[in-house]
Amino acid sequence: MSVHAPTGRSVTYKRPGVLTRLARSEHVAGWAFVAPATILIAVFALIPIGWSLVLSLQANNLIAPAHYVGLANYRALAKDPQFRSAVVHTLLYTVVFVPISVFGALGLAVALNRRIRGIRFYRLAVFVPLVTSTVATGIIFLWLLDPTFGLVNYLLHAVGLPQQQFLQDPNQALWCIVAMTVWGWLGFDVIIYLAALQGIPAELLEAAEMDGASRLSAFRSIVVPLLGPATLFLVVWSTINALQLFDEIYVTTRGGPLGSTTVIVYYLYQQAFQFFNGGYGAAIAYVLFVAILIVTLVQLWIGRRRVYYSS
Amino acid sequence: MPGVVLEEVTKAFPGGTVALDGLSLEVADGEFMILVGSSGCGKTTALRLIAGLETPSSGTIRIGDRVVNDVPARDRDIAMVFQNYALYPHMTVARNLAYPLRQRRTPKREIARRVQDVAEMLDLEGLLRRRPAQLSGGQRQRVAMGRALVREPEVFLLDEPLSNLDAKLRVQMRAALKRLHARLDVTTVYVTHDQVEAMTLGDRIAVLSDGRLQQLGPPQEVYDRPVNVFVAGFIGSPPMNLLRGRVRDGRVSAGDFAFERSGLADREVIVGVRPESLHPSVDGMPSLDFHVSVVEPMGDEVIVHGSVAAELANDTPGEGESLLLAGDGERAAAVARLAPRDRPAEGSVVRLGADPAEVHLFDADSGQAIR
Amino acid sequence: MPGRARRRLPFSPWHLFLAPVAAIMLVPLVWMVILSLETKPEASSFPPVLLPSGPHFSNYPATWNAVPFGHFFINSILYSLATVAGNLVFCSLAAYAFARIRFFGSNVLFVVLLATLMVPFQVLLIPTFLIVKKLGMVDSVGGLIMPNLCSAFGIFMLRQFFRTLPIELEEAARIDGTSRLGILVKIVLPLSMPALATLAIIQFIWSWNDFLWPLIIIDTASHAPLQLGLSTLQGAHSTEWNLLMAGTVMSQIPMLAMFLFAQRWFIRSIAFTGIK
Repeated sequence: MSVHAPTGRSVTYKRPGVLTRLARSEHVAGWAFVAPATILIAVFALIPIGWSLVLSLQANNLIAPAHYVGLANYRALAKDPQFRSAVVHTLLYTVVFVPISVFGALGLAVALNRRIRGIRFYRLAVFVPLVTSTVATGIIFLWLLDPTFGLVNYLLHAVGLPQQQFLQDPNQALWCIVAMTVWGWLGFDVIIYLAALQGIPAELLEAAEMDGASRLSAFRSIVVPLLGPATLFLVVWSTINALQLFDEIYVTTRGGPLGSTTVIVYYLYQQAFQFFNGGYGAAIAYVLFVAILIVTLVQLWIGRRRVYYSS
Repeated sequence: MPGVVLEEVTKAFPGGTVALDGLSLEVADGEFMILVGSSGCGKTTALRLIAGLETPSSGTIRIGDRVVNDVPARDRDIAMVFQNYALYPHMTVARNLAYPLRQRRTPKREIARRVQDVAEMLDLEGLLRRRPAQLSGGQRQRVAMGRALVREPEVFLLDEPLSNLDAKLRVQMRAALKRLHARLDVTTVYVTHDQVEAMTLGDRIAVLSDGRLQQLGPPQEVYDRPVNVFVAGFIGSPPMNLLRGRVRDGRVSAGDFAFERSGLADREVIVGVRPESLHPSVDGMPSLDFHVSVVEPMGDEVIVHGSVAAELANDTPGEGESLLLAGDGERAAAVARLAPRDRPAEGSVVRLGADPAEVHLFDADSGQAIR
Repeated sequence: MPGRARRRLPFSPWHLFLAPVAAIMLVPLVWMVILSLETKPEASSFPPVLLPSGPHFSNYPATWNAVPFGHFFINSILYSLATVAGNLVFCSLAAYAFARIRFFGSNVLFVVLLATLMVPFQVLLIPTFLIVKKLGMVDSVGGLIMPNLCSAFGIFMLRQFFRTLPIELEEAARIDGTSRLGILVKIVLPLSMPALATLAIIQFIWSWNDFLWPLIIIDTASHAPLQLGLSTLQGAHSTEWNLLMAGTVMSQIPMLAMFLFAQRWFIRSIAFTGIK
């Protein structure tokens, strides 16, 4: 192909070879850029997802070669009374934890959205527990709730109330776990709500006041609806995290006393890494996965119809 | 019975800013009062004080015949249209309009009737089911007004409601507002920085600057007889030409423009000539040489920018500062409005004159008008 | 706030609510410190001892030596820094490609990678363990790090951010002949500091406080990162509350200190996860 350059001399344009074109192409560049991430995620996420499903169809003790048992693990799960009680414990925990932490955080965020003296200190106090690890939280609360010398029992004693067994009482242990996880996670919800509250233009509340709304009425009719997206996010997020509760249980009660704090993931841990029923553990994991998926979709669906998004 | 009264109202914010300094103002019942001034002059603060969104540092505020200093905003029987409309984004137009009525527990049938009335009045009927995000700027503005009107309040407050609209819409809405006021006859206080709105809409206008009232009166009076240099320079578009001048032996002069005026002591003055007062010079009329730089044909007139052989005056004096800029004899920029047939060529020099009766004189130190 | 009648209290009534809440939030941490300075009998006495005799700073070296604390710290630092670095590098590369390069299959790949975020870690736990075992990295810091070198969350977050940058800058560089990689490094990344900082903080906190994965993969105490190490301490000295608390304090100080110094960044990063 010849092109006539302005000077009158002709210049020949040679098309680069296939390989050169390929090397320079966007496609190769794109894939080169995503390659490391793709490989890592493929190996450590995508493959495990599939492999977990395979495992759940096996009897596998993680050491010796495994053999396939079809859906036997799932059938066993359905009949397993320990699994059933783990599910009950997890649901109980979730159903109490989520409303307390979400609504508690809403109230706190409203309180922290003031410009009173010392507000920065109060905010800091609320956020700090968030950076402590689950292990630290567990250890601290083990002491606080100790039946003999814990601070909480001391305070109860000081006001004349009877001493409690707390984490050693099968009827109280789960609620103690609720308390300690709310303590540890409240700050996250508060941060989200505070950010959302600060996104509401002050003019709207002034307009509501001019329109005759009391502060409470304005809160209910204006603030709460506009916090809808944040609330939905926090409910979904908290639920997902609650269903996956593990660390605090391990550190404090190891699923006891009398199995009263055995939750799904703890049961999984026991089955897979203490009794070496790898296949069974994988089945538990998949059931949990599906449960989380369903719960999340239901929440999102309910939320979609009722939550207003300003775009 | 006056609609709204402000008595020696002062508002100082923590941090030291004094937004209003001893403002006294009386709005008659049913009057359309405009508070006008540039940003920071205190007009919005004054409005918010009347609304009850702020409390005065000192002074009294009366609505109707009661003192409302300690009365919360929701109990003052006033409605406000915010500059950015403040429509509730998650509610439909209908619910936005109904909101004030629902907050006061108005019976449902009454709510429906009033919402319908207001929607008809403001041409919102087709939009009742939409959300604010789906409305244009002009539509949102009407919804904001509707929400204020639906309560049939004693006082109607508007905070620069037209400033977010495009020029054409603004003109339409000005007329619509005027019609609305004529029909409803509600005491209205309207804040704007646009002096055209002030002139066209108000029964009376209050010109504010630096938290103080500069002049209060009907628009024509403020235009014809400004009490000080600030008001003179603020009202009127294009603004009045303000030139350094002096009075000597009964003769006023500014550059090459001079005329006789008796009964004046010798002093430095500011000579103010409105662009529309300048005409092609006629014998006997005091005149000056106008060096034309830019000509803007507007269709019905031409606006001529140029310079005159005088010095420019500073129209907003600071503390102790004289109104006259220390000059070095440069020519002052000036503007004239001429009929299209008198259109000069750019770069030419024309002789323009003004009737001395239309020339304003201001004391160079205080800025006050000299009659 | 709009004007209202004078209050009956000399301070805002909100203090009555916030002060007790702040106390509840801080008291456990305060006691953690107090107990770490007491003797063993003091730490488990009833009523609890508010003012330690002493204070017994010796608890700290005692705890440090009772379990391989120095190793715990080093392992955690390695784990956290490596995962932060890995995420920053690999997620940036991938996010840039998804944001700016049109290549075959990019949409499908993006969705697939993102889908991995929907799967809870417990599903991945056992197979990941087996994979790490196959790689011979069980019971090592490397085994801790490998599965966490790149997360789809980082890719998603950075892609969103990159797309908000004005493309003209990159186009101008392309015309000047800069390579894609050069554009990423010299133009896009410097402009993305806030997003990169957010990702780094989130990943750092996550790695530093991680417990379950280390629990599964590490057997030897000296290979454990901090939180697992703390739990080991608890296992060995469960009734020596003074030592336990000293260990807890030591393990939490880095994160607490960083939080106090860089509050705004921490809070912004955390708020950001809500915005996605």
